Amino acid sequence: MSRRVVITGAGVVSPIGIGVDEFWRSCLAGKSSAAPIPAHWADYADLHSRVWSPLPEIDPKSLGLARTEQLQLDPVTIIALGAAREALANAGFAIQAAEGKTRTYVLPDTDATRTGVYIGTGLGGAFTFLQNHTHHLLRKPRAALMDFAEKYIATADRDTFDRIMAQLKHGLRFNPFEVSMVMPNAPAAAIGIKYTLKGVNETYCVACASGTVAIGNAYRAVRDGRVDIAVSGGCEYFGDEHGHIFHSFDVSGTLVRDCSNPETANRPFDEKRSGFLFSQGGAAILVLEELEHARHRGAKIVAELIGFAETFDAHSIMSLASDGVQIERMIRAALADAGLSSRDVDYVNAHGTGTMNNDKTEADVIGRVFGQYVPVNSTKSLIGHTIGASGAIEALVTALSLRDGITHVCNNLVTPVLDLNFVRKTERFSPRVGLSQSFAFGGHNAAVVMRRFD
Amino acid sequence: MNANIQQRVLKVASEVLERKEDEIQLDAPLRDELQLDSLKQMTLFIALEDEFQHTIPPEEAEGLVTVRDVIEFIQRKMQEPSLA
Repeated sequence: MSRRVVITGAGVVSPIGIGVDEFWRSCLAGKSSAAPIPAHWADYADLHSRVWSPLPEIDPKSLGLARTEQLQLDPVTIIALGAAREALANAGFAIQAAEGKTRTYVLPDTDATRTGVYIGTGLGGAFTFLQNHTHHLLRKPRAALMDFAEKYIATADRDTFDRIMAQLKHGLRFNPFEVSMVMPNAPAAAIGIKYTLKGVNETYCVACASGTVAIGNAYRAVRDGRVDIAVSGGCEYFGDEHGHIFHSFDVSGTLVRDCSNPETANRPFDEKRSGFLFSQGGAAILVLEELEHARHRGAKIVAELIGFAETFDAHSIMSLASDGVQIERMIRAALADAGLSSRDVDYVNAHGTGTMNNDKTEADVIGRVFGQYVPVNSTKSLIGHTIGASGAIEALVTALSLRDGITHVCNNLVTPVLDLNFVRKTERFSPRVGLSQSFAFGGHNAAVVMRRFD
Repeated sequence: MNANIQQRVLKVASEVLERKEDEIQLDAPLRDELQLDSLKQMTLFIALEDEFQHTIPPEEAEGLVTVRDVIEFIQRKMQEPSLA
């Protein structure tokens, strides 16, 4: 008999809350974080979308990181470490400082060689890459321009010159740790180093499905006996100074276009949707553990992971196949992995981006597989699209919905794209099995299946 | 030596070396006694940049042997305009 896998801890950094309690309260309150984009981004590009979903201000010290660590880590790694710290703490591990160290820890009474790390991210340390590139590109030309201006630009014209130069600012340094900050495996490696976890340490770069694929593979590793504990999840950070990453999604036509009212711009599964809400980022970490291992520790169990599958469209690098055939095959494979049929599922956390193509195709597939009665919601309707973190954040929402028998609404859903049971009110229900699915640029489809743990 | 700069350099050195400030002797060799390897040296100088909000080109920081050398170097740098 294969081993059972349970979630024993969780941590999250999101636009609507840092920490699981605050995040979940915000979800159930239907809180949205949509806000106008920083005004100065218009100095660099003509943008069509005008709203995003910013993160709260994050003090790395409050996430347990010293200055010397902050200076060597991209924000994506900092928030992943923050989520991991919360997840391990509320999984009940009595985290202790490693011998002779002040910034690395051990999990007492656990076998570090059988504790793995499985993290997904879309672009890894893109923030640092862009920050260093700005320094690389501008430092010398900027100094040359300043020399030129001293000699040749009349005092009367200096205000204009200085205003343009202010737009060409760059950071204090070209960070010498760039390579280890930018590499996509940095968040997973940093978690492994921080907590001295010596089992498998893997990174999954599967764009918007990264978090789901990471958790799915972590589930398999625990189920199949390769590790006993898996620190798994996803992370992303897109808050670069000049709005470059926002620009790259905007120019590809994927972002929400109707921005006249930031509060209602983001509307997954609605007939008036116009694209997805770009998020500054986020991270969610789940601690997965073999059931008997968790029981032996006396750990509290959030939910049980019971299935995972992934398929690939082989259709388009940027657009899912509108027939949804590979998504349907993926869902049915995940259910088969769980030993269930579609009738057993009573909650679906959808990918639900708000793009024209995704929501129509996804709604059609959900209708075909599950019918029109299963409750469906989109966490992206609250926090926007956190790309590599999204699948992990939505897996967390699925687990909490099963645990608490309640879930959040589909924000701004007025006229559904299809007659499905979209969650319109935050009210009690009694789900036993939930499915969380993600689709990604490239053509990747993945889902995890969870069961309420009684 | 400027007492304020000395105190701030010692604070940064203590963060990088994971040692208490009073365990760091001003004339102790950074590499041989304080185990400041090349990675820690990079960390020390980006942390000093952060502390003093002043650019420190890596090539200018070569040849510094003791903590005292670092303090005197920072004192000199603070007299110059930052490059950023």
